[in-house]
Amino acid sequence: MGMSSGGSGDGAKPNINVTPLIDVLLVLLIIFMVITPLKPSRFEAKVPAEPKEQQDVNVKPNPLTLVVAISKETKGITLNNEAYGDVSDPSKLNAKLAEIFRERAANGVFRENTNEIEKTIFIKSPKSVRYGDVVKVIDAAKAAGASPIGLQIDDLTD
Amino acid sequence: MAGQVGGTSEYNSEINVTPMVDVMLVLLIIFMIVTPLLQQGVSVNLPRDTISPDEDADIAKDTSVIVAIPDNNNFYIGKDQFPLDQLGDVIKRRMEGKVPEKRIVYIKSGVDVDYGRVVSAIETIRRQDIDKIGLVADRKKGGEAPKPQ
Repeated sequence: MGMSSGGSGDGAKPNINVTPLIDVLLVLLIIFMVITPLKPSRFEAKVPAEPKEQQDVNVKPNPLTLVVAISKETKGITLNNEAYGDVSDPSKLNAKLAEIFRERAANGVFRENTNEIEKTIFIKSPKSVRYGDVVKVIDAAKAAGASPIGLQIDDLTD
Repeated sequence: MAGQVGGTSEYNSEINVTPMVDVMLVLLIIFMIVTPLLQQGVSVNLPRDTISPDEDADIAKDTSVIVAIPDNNNFYIGKDQFPLDQLGDVIKRRMEGKVPEKRIVYIKSGVDVDYGRVVSAIETIRRQDIDKIGLVADRKKGGEAPKPQ
């Protein structure tokens, strides 16, 4: 019996067990599948030119300008001085901006000398606000279609 | 003998965990190797779960200029720390010879950093005649960017 089991078959079978190899390769495959879509992404923001001294104070403000401001104390969001929620839930701002842009598209409100709908917004925030909160507001505005996004960085309050 | 082999007590109910351990160890090693490689520059607690940032493969390129602000006191470009007043020169040097469309500086700032620190970095960048800033943020997984209406 011992003899027959030791000498069974015609010589040794040269089969390699590939199962562990396949296991490892599949795991590798899964890892790369998970990692690959992690492409970095960013919000593009524009910065207005440095204000020159002796600037003309009587510049007529553009009625289409949308300024989103964040309040330091209440963390509230205002759009052209009207309150729309706060930084913990910027969805009101998002809805309002989307509505404004829809109206503008319907009425054909174009940026000066172009045929693009005016969707410029400016973000203004006090310096002590958390960066994360500012990004949340930018995110909500961008999701509503705002572009370009301008960061107002002059004359910010603390 | 045959009877003995066939009837050895009950069936063996233990799971063979060796292959699982193999795979786990391999996973562990892969992550140990890959994690430091993936990270460029310093680690920053980026804003997470945002809906609408645009993908930009340029961020990962070696030639792009990324200002990292992990906390309120430090500014990094790549892996090197710079004080705020030297930041401008470094950016200027790295931006030399770039076509106007590529003149963009990326900012990787931690969520808990004061916006004022970010603004002071942007002010420095602006003095180098750069008006485009890329605020790097992690997009929410599976989040589809809404189409601009």
